[in-house]
Amino acid sequence: MIKALVSLNMDLASSIALRYSCRLAEIIGMKLHTMHVEEVDKEGYSPGTGWVRSTWEKGLLQTSQEEILQLINTEKSSCPSLDAPIIRIGEREEELLHEIDDGSYDLFIEGVLHSFNAVNFYKKIQSKLYRYASCPIIIVKNLVDLNSVALLLGDGTDVRPLITSILKIFTKSELTVDLIHYTFQKFKGSGFREKVDNSKTPGRENGDKVLGKAEMMLSEMGCYPKDSWVIQDSPKKIADFLGSYGLVAAYIPSHSGKKNRLMELLSQVPSATLLCRR
Amino acid sequence: MRILVAVDQNPYSAHTVGEVAKLAANTWANVSLLGVQSKRLPKNEGSDAKTRAWKIDGPLPNVLSAYRDNFLSYFKEEDCPYTEREFGYKMIELRKGLWEELYVCKSAKKNFRALIRIGNPVKEILAEAKEEETDLIVLGCDTSQGCSWENNMAVPQKVANDAACSVLVAKKEKKVERIVCCLDHDRVSQQSLEMINQLVTLHSAKLTIVGFAESEGIKTRVEKKLDNVLRYYHERNIEPWIELAELSSLDAFIAQEAKWGLMALWMGKMSILEKALPKSKVKKLIKGSESSVLILR
Repeated sequence: MIKALVSLNMDLASSIALRYSCRLAEIIGMKLHTMHVEEVDKEGYSPGTGWVRSTWEKGLLQTSQEEILQLINTEKSSCPSLDAPIIRIGEREEELLHEIDDGSYDLFIEGVLHSFNAVNFYKKIQSKLYRYASCPIIIVKNLVDLNSVALLLGDGTDVRPLITSILKIFTKSELTVDLIHYTFQKFKGSGFREKVDNSKTPGRENGDKVLGKAEMMLSEMGCYPKDSWVIQDSPKKIADFLGSYGLVAAYIPSHSGKKNRLMELLSQVPSATLLCRR
Repeated sequence: MRILVAVDQNPYSAHTVGEVAKLAANTWANVSLLGVQSKRLPKNEGSDAKTRAWKIDGPLPNVLSAYRDNFLSYFKEEDCPYTEREFGYKMIELRKGLWEELYVCKSAKKNFRALIRIGNPVKEILAEAKEEETDLIVLGCDTSQGCSWENNMAVPQKVANDAACSVLVAKKEKKVERIVCCLDHDRVSQQSLEMINQLVTLHSAKLTIVGFAESEGIKTRVEKKLDNVLRYYHERNIEPWIELAELSSLDAFIAQEAKWGLMALWMGKMSILEKALPKSKVKKLIKGSESSVLILR
């Protein structure tokens, strides 16, 4: 069974992420673990040392636990498998990275509200947690229906890492999978979007080759994509199209910078986004 | 709910009447159709000329009559809440222990009125809305002329800015695929949420709820309100998207998101949008946007 860690805070983004995770768990048979990290020193506040600090931290842990339990209990009726959360004190990213490694999780999930300004999204992608996490990450931006998954494919180098991750997570689910080969428009103008005929013979355009490779990898494992698309447009227009999917998955090499147009595209996708970096 | 539909004799008004009929079928609102005829200035001082200034003439009375028929055609006769009179016998208690079968007429469950006022369109629409304590004014416009009425009058823009109630400027050309609803703080009224709910159902549209964040990030109370709003819509089987936008990028945001078909802006008293969007910008939005615009108050 897939083992997922959901990061929780007492905020709207976490509430949405928890509800989305519960829906996903029901569909793909996933065990959810929740975790909250209380960052006591984030503003340089030193609460003393020794016994004073230890007593103070115990109090904080208890308060945090009560708050997060309140959040979990709200969802418990629709997601009975939720256990008590893991509560830690410390630096958030460090603690989450330790837990992901120690617990050998298959998936990390957190909520990030969809924003018109992409700066926060870029910061997330560049963060230590996202660069070093040993498993794929789902960023939940909105509570959407998990009707289908879109796999975003670019130049072809992303096919293997993305498909491998997807097969590991979704192999036992009956979610509809679509393949989408994207290219960005260099100049303003009307883009195009075309559904590819899967019955076509090989020896086609680059986009079709990439899609063919992905189709082959998926079908070898008994997973057959429903539709394949070739899209050329601006990041915003492609993101609008992807809004109809319950999950959009992409491979982002760990060296990719924030000026990457794929980042621009992903920052504008309103659905949940699955990122594979390894 | 009381809806005032401001109309003239142009095709965009016919479209607006149809839209309101669909809304009224869901809400059973009291509806008034209002046409405004310009006052004719008397050419001389004779009493006859002065009297003529207050007479109704021209195409408006017939147009209103056609709009009324069109409006009522959206309802099945037996379900129509606006059926004027219903006659029949009914046992009525005259006093304790004494009943009599009387021939009675029941009035309609809801009011539907067709009115003509004479004067300046903007002033008369606002006056009628105020007198009747209207909740929503709906009006269409000619989008080829920058959302104007006859003689290039910016009636929708002026009404949207000066009305005390909510105003919907319905544009004919654009299909409503998504309703982008800009809420800025925790005082948004329940009535406004229900209005959005109705429009989402009516158009089978998707919904995006936008929370405006100041530069220091979204405030906790706004976030709590957004969470409540989200749950309110989930209970009604509507799954809205949440999007955050900073006030500093308000113009760019509106320009980009107004493409979806309907943009709703919560501009109640003390709201951030009321301060951030001066009248000139609201005018510009209504004039330039392809989408319908709903100002919620």
